[in-house]
Amino acid sequence: MSAGFGPLLAAVTLLQSNGATMLPEWLADVLRLDGLGVAGTAIAALIGAFVIANVLLINAALAGPWAKRKIAAAFWGKLGPNRMGPGGTLIIVADALRMLSKELIVPEGADRPAWDIAPIIVAGSAMLGFAVIPFGKIGGVQVQLADPEIGLVLVFAIASVTSVGLVMGGYASKNKYSMLGSLRAVAQNIAYEIPLIVSAGSVVIFAGTLQLSGIVDAQTETLVSVGGFGIPAWYAFVNPFAFILFLTANLAEVGRNPFDIPEAPTEIVAGYQTEYSSVYFVLIYLGEFLHIFLGGALAAVVFLGGGAGPVLPGPVWLIVKMWAFFLFTQWARQTFPRVRIDQLIEIGWKGLLVLAFANLILTAVLVGFLEGDVEFAFASLQVITA
Amino acid sequence: MSTGEEQSGDDAGEQAIEPTEAKVAELQSLLGDHVLDTEEHLNAPGIVIRPDAVQAVLSTLKEEAGYDHCSCVTAQQYPDRYESIYHLKKYADPTDEVSVVVPTARDDPTSESGAPVYETASWHEREAYDLVGIDYDDHPDLRRILLPDTWQGHPLREDYDQDRPQIVTLRENANPLLEDHRGSEEEGESDTMFLNIGPHHPATHGVLHLETVLDGEQVLDVDPDIGYLHRCEEQMCQQGTYRHQIMPYPDRWDYISAGLLNEWAYARTAEDLADIEVPEYAQVIRTMGAELCRIASHMLAMGTFALDINGDFTATFMWAIRERERAQSVLEELTGQRLMFNYFRLGGVAWDLPSPREDFFELTRDFLDGLPEATREFHDLLTNNEIMQLRTIDTGVIDPETAKDFGCTGPVARASGIDYDLRRDDPYGYYDELEWDVVTEDGCDNYSRLLVRMREVEQSAKIIDQCIDLLEDWPEDEREIQSNVPRTLKPERDTEIYRAVEGAKGELGIYIRADGTDKPGRFKIRSPCFSNLQSLPAMAEGEYIPDLVAALGSLDIVLGEVDR
Repeated sequence: MSAGFGPLLAAVTLLQSNGATMLPEWLADVLRLDGLGVAGTAIAALIGAFVIANVLLINAALAGPWAKRKIAAAFWGKLGPNRMGPGGTLIIVADALRMLSKELIVPEGADRPAWDIAPIIVAGSAMLGFAVIPFGKIGGVQVQLADPEIGLVLVFAIASVTSVGLVMGGYASKNKYSMLGSLRAVAQNIAYEIPLIVSAGSVVIFAGTLQLSGIVDAQTETLVSVGGFGIPAWYAFVNPFAFILFLTANLAEVGRNPFDIPEAPTEIVAGYQTEYSSVYFVLIYLGEFLHIFLGGALAAVVFLGGGAGPVLPGPVWLIVKMWAFFLFTQWARQTFPRVRIDQLIEIGWKGLLVLAFANLILTAVLVGFLEGDVEFAFASLQVITA
Repeated sequence: MSTGEEQSGDDAGEQAIEPTEAKVAELQSLLGDHVLDTEEHLNAPGIVIRPDAVQAVLSTLKEEAGYDHCSCVTAQQYPDRYESIYHLKKYADPTDEVSVVVPTARDDPTSESGAPVYETASWHEREAYDLVGIDYDDHPDLRRILLPDTWQGHPLREDYDQDRPQIVTLRENANPLLEDHRGSEEEGESDTMFLNIGPHHPATHGVLHLETVLDGEQVLDVDPDIGYLHRCEEQMCQQGTYRHQIMPYPDRWDYISAGLLNEWAYARTAEDLADIEVPEYAQVIRTMGAELCRIASHMLAMGTFALDINGDFTATFMWAIRERERAQSVLEELTGQRLMFNYFRLGGVAWDLPSPREDFFELTRDFLDGLPEATREFHDLLTNNEIMQLRTIDTGVIDPETAKDFGCTGPVARASGIDYDLRRDDPYGYYDELEWDVVTEDGCDNYSRLLVRMREVEQSAKIIDQCIDLLEDWPEDEREIQSNVPRTLKPERDTEIYRAVEGAKGELGIYIRADGTDKPGRFKIRSPCFSNLQSLPAMAEGEYIPDLVAALGSLDIVLGEVDR
């Protein structure tokens, strides 16, 4: 019995909040699940997860078949889908039907369990990351499933699990193109994960916490006031250099142009996903879009004040910021040529990594001096001189 | 060879551009007793040599007489012999031509290979072996090239049985899924990977198959496997009458909107063969139409190259298609067709400009006026993009000497600094009356090939603009669109001619041997893409896969023209 309750209890301890009522707590309260004890909290958490997952699925459904086409069409000077339903939105239904009615072709010699699990990992890991993303407050309720103290580390760890899915899929497909794609995915992931985390680390030095809600709260103050309008202390404004590094590394992390090397349609057909069709293809596709949104949500939480924004409630603003990042990826897709794999590794290891560490140490020194912690600053300086 | 040919040679001598006796004497003294006989082709003197002296003669001609361009190798069967003709030219002066004729015995058609002298002869001889069945001694790799390895017989031979079914069991075909470690030093275990790129692959621009050996991401060896789109164009042309039935075929060689350029290749060859004059007015229209085709073709080349580098249907591709679309609507107004124009006729063009003429001129001018802005956009998106430069500069390098050896022409040659353009060097149409420049770049890389195409678009626009001016002011009663051409053309038996024009992809040549009927006895197409594609291994070996794809894109091949 106790072994069964272990993970549940661990899950409950993750649900620590810093003042505001968390979404699962609020749900437990509203649905009167308190009487059930631990089980009630778990059920409330599941309901909350269901709600958030569906919001994300709706976003992904809008982004994949419809918004992507509309955005691309705008870049091309064309109209995009406009015949199916209002603004062409029914193309989402048409596409879903089309995809799901396709034959699921299993390549001969595929490494079966691995080949089947890979798409689930790709989609699941991206979705899992949202468990700790604070969507902002709506009527005093913090829309967030869990807020562990190590939230930032956790979300990076979850995001990198995607690579495991890519490698599994690529290797298990028994296709040379898939193999090349998965190898590229690993090389790319290693080259970009470190600069990504290090540039986010500079924010941690400012905020003094790894807890995502804490990072958001640290950005609520006003940085400067210009003509009555307060510019908030978002870390994108406080440390724009880190923000640019983070965005670049994030593009590579989510595998979009100019870093869509693991897929590289004109070179290795579709990379790791070459052999996937039907439902599995949908899962991989969904995973990619969720991954873009996760990248956008992270950028929003760490650098753009999370759900902060005027008038509209927090979750709406966070979703707007996620979409802004999505638009950015599409913009890059339309304009940037793809870099070559060796050039990408070079940019990652020789460029971004060095810049990210320089940024981290400079931030540490600055924060040390600003906060009067001279000892800390000198320690950081010693690191630099060393 | 035969006496009949000698006579026709005399007739043809009047049509030939220059009297060639001095040249023949010079060549004879150079080659000594290798020369068995001489012939007179309409375009050049023909030197008949023994089949075992091919390499000696070709290397003498290349090294000492400066014939550095082996434009084409034609093979054909006569009742009493087989014949290979090496059409040699000079890059410095393509009007200085010579044909090396190598007759071989009917019962044992074996001839020495010219491939050790001219790299480009390798593929041409493979084609000759494939279709006509001539064996080339000392050839580095004499395999079939257009037809499958399992094909029985040689289709251009007289005794070829067309009705015999070509039944090939699956077992006889190489299984592409088998383990393959080609390119490795030792048998069995190795670090290399064999990869089939194509025939269905997003970057092959058609049905091209690249047999690639990879070491990690690096290309160790690449071997283009062509023939998937072989439609027997040469044989089909041999079954059509000169006057009308052949002209629609050229549209289908380079079908990427370069139709009029191809038609011109046939028109020029057949007009020179049958001694047909073309009115000046028609030449101006031809020139204008051809340059419109060149713009459309280069736009697509640029778009697909961007596609290969960007990897998605991105803005650059769509914008390039948009510009091509404008060129195409002008062409549609002119010819009534969007792709398969069939607009040229022997002795002129099918009809005059559409009326009202002012509307047509306005449409064309609008298109030309929009081009500088479009070009600026492409420079912003492509050539000035740092990632693009990072990707294309110093990748896919081919130096001028190698390019010449492979018989590269067109933008591929000009991007390697070879100043060679038939429009200027071997003038036809109205080009020598107009002001324009031949574009060259010295980079020899993918980037230069892109730049050459973009700059050539500007030059083509300049040509079209001048043509429009000319056409606007052309007196109404002098608008002759076709000269008087006999209903049936029967060029004299054994008249031979090889003529080329500057197609969108390079030198598009046609060899015709008349057999006294109203249909050609032998119709051979020299496709620029065929020769350019042959140079791909020289560009791509040692590079990464993305650069192989980029180099392939920069060659701008159309498989319809490669395979014919």
